[in-house]
Amino acid sequence: MARLTRAGVLPAPARAGRSVFRSRTLQGFLFTAPLLGIFAAFVIYPILLGLYYASDPDSYRAIFSDPVFRATLANTLWYVVVAVNVKLFLALLLSGMLDYPYPWIRLLSALFLIPWAVPALPGILSFRWMLNSQWGIFNHLLTKFGLASVPWLAQPDTALGAIMVFHIWKYLPFWTIIFVAGRRAIPGELYEAAAIDGAGVVKNFLYVTFPLLRNLYLICTLLSMVFTLGDFTVPWLMTGGAPGDSTHVLATLAYRYTFHMGRLEWGLATFTVALPVTLLFIFLLMRWVKI
Amino acid sequence: MWRRLARRALWVPLALFLATLVFPAGAALAADKLVVWWNKGYYPEEDAAMQKIVKEFEAQHKVEVDLSFTAQEDLLKKITAALIARRVPDVAFCFFNDWQVVPKFGWDDKLADTSDVIAKLKPRYNAKMLEVAYVMNNKTKKRAYYGVPIEAQTMHIHYWRDLLKEAGLEDDPAKIPMKWDDYWSYWKKAQDALRRKDPAKYGKLYGIGMTESTRASDTLYNFEMALLSFNGELLDKDGKVVASQPKNREAIIKTLTWFGDLFTSGYVPPDATNWTDGDNNAGFHSRSIVMTPNPSQSIPAAQFFNKDDPQRDNYFNKMATIEWPNGPDGKKPRYLSAVKTIIIPKDSKSQKLAKDFILFVLEPPRFLEYIKAANGRWFPAFKDLYADPFWRTGHRGPRGEKDNHVPVATTIFLERDNKVFEHYKHPAISQVYDENIWGKAMARIAVEKWPADKAADEAIERMKAIFAQYK
Repeated sequence: MARLTRAGVLPAPARAGRSVFRSRTLQGFLFTAPLLGIFAAFVIYPILLGLYYASDPDSYRAIFSDPVFRATLANTLWYVVVAVNVKLFLALLLSGMLDYPYPWIRLLSALFLIPWAVPALPGILSFRWMLNSQWGIFNHLLTKFGLASVPWLAQPDTALGAIMVFHIWKYLPFWTIIFVAGRRAIPGELYEAAAIDGAGVVKNFLYVTFPLLRNLYLICTLLSMVFTLGDFTVPWLMTGGAPGDSTHVLATLAYRYTFHMGRLEWGLATFTVALPVTLLFIFLLMRWVKI
Repeated sequence: MWRRLARRALWVPLALFLATLVFPAGAALAADKLVVWWNKGYYPEEDAAMQKIVKEFEAQHKVEVDLSFTAQEDLLKKITAALIARRVPDVAFCFFNDWQVVPKFGWDDKLADTSDVIAKLKPRYNAKMLEVAYVMNNKTKKRAYYGVPIEAQTMHIHYWRDLLKEAGLEDDPAKIPMKWDDYWSYWKKAQDALRRKDPAKYGKLYGIGMTESTRASDTLYNFEMALLSFNGELLDKDGKVVASQPKNREAIIKTLTWFGDLFTSGYVPPDATNWTDGDNNAGFHSRSIVMTPNPSQSIPAAQFFNKDDPQRDNYFNKMATIEWPNGPDGKKPRYLSAVKTIIIPKDSKSQKLAKDFILFVLEPPRFLEYIKAANGRWFPAFKDLYADPFWRTGHRGPRGEKDNHVPVATTIFLERDNKVFEHYKHPAISQVYDENIWGKAMARIAVEKWPADKAADEAIERMKAIFAQYK
């Protein structure tokens, strides 16, 4: 039987004269080897292969000469900046409402989570039907009130707007719940002290809630930007890039290059263009949370 | 001792794990059978006919065939990924092979040369349809057959006869005006009359279901058909771009102006710039458009199998198929056909068996049964098959009605000036179609309000830039 030390743990095995195959480090490595193998096969290898395919300068010349690519860069920027910031700002405000300790708020919170819980596909298809210019509910209501129909998905601005609105509708509940959790971690004593000092709702928010949620808010913003930068589902299912390829984002354009046009190297070059931004977000995030 | 054994046992799962990475079991098994990826049919009868053929082939050749059906959109991606990754099936048939796979991957030397199969079938072929697979290989610097064409589709116009009757217009196909302006005005008149007659019922009905979207391949047919009507050409016989020549540039501008005016006239659904290939079909079936151009017989074929209409009243009495109108210069229309093509990837380990399989599928009685199961949606590429009376008479209705659809397509294929799409001339045209640059030009005019000449010039420049990439 192995002797225990005073601290009650096993002593490190003696190294001298023992096979390297018996070292605990190596054994630990062997235990994790399957996971490392899977990680290497399905993460490291595809990334390296992707970078290899994307390393041809001709691919970048080709995609930057494509007018659709240039418009797509602008769309992606709009999508990430507007959709993420509007969504998180609304989530921050709504989290205040859902933080009230009334029983009906719990019911409302549960209902509020539904858009996030339903699968994206039926949600987007329903939204597309509602926006149909011939028989959609939105235009039906507009014409009921004597207003002109709007071809929502057939003009670039409203089509891109529809993508953003759906994105916000779908993911707002998730971030709201995160902020509710953040609010509940703020000690009640701080609000009591603020109340003694005569702070109202606005001052409470400005001087107590927001300073304490600021780090969480920034982390959520960075995380959401990383997720949204790679978002394919919402833009693809909502417009597929139409009308006239004016509503593509980088993820949908890369898909179009790769699978519609058989240009794998262009698709990977498209992703690689976004890589520095994604890596910057990840780097900032890691600095912030001190990983 | 037990501890030592246990420690050694740690190596076993690791060794097994590495072994599975090094020797994938699937690769070893794949060589024992013929792997066939086939486009899922539009009707169950098509798939059943193919399954029957496969069973007969298995029995005759004593070999296992792994047949899988995939919907066309997904199958194209699957074939593209397989060819790039070089993990391929032995035979692949996708409705998009002709313009999205054969020219590009033939150029890249990733398809097997099927010239020997074509040589055996040559006496049976409609020669015009054969050239679609005769593409350039950039490695050998020679043209060869890199696919086996089997069936074709071309442009038709479908309309609701009963809606025309209700609008107080003549509904007989023989009496629809075929002059360019009169033809398109006819459907506008129908929209106006129906909306006037019953605003509640027809307030959102449109006269013309013209697809003008970058998402739909129908847009390519619509544009190129109209371009032929305006006497324009994009390529010369050697595959060089001639779109910028003054005569052709003018024709392109006229064509785009015509599409732009049509869209903004209020007679085309506003979502037509956002449609996919199925959306004009859906609009037609829901009777929210009076007519639609469609490059296959999918619309009447769907009505033929409409379970809500057991007497096939829609197919035989309420709708009809007619031709594209005469050009603005009064000349008869010139048609474009897309000829659907089977490929064998160059990396297939069973090329001989794959060729035997294709020849087996295309034997006359067998292939006739398969293609007829599509209910006239496709037209055979073989003379002996379209000699069958079905293509001239079509179906007979339950009350002895004549078929208004299949014989029209046969007339277009056999009696009109009909040429195949020109992607076989140069692989770059395949990318021009992939990018749908003419759909983009239509959107520039219809949505972004660009003048037609600016949109035409942008598209022509893009076309030239794409061609310049192929050296």
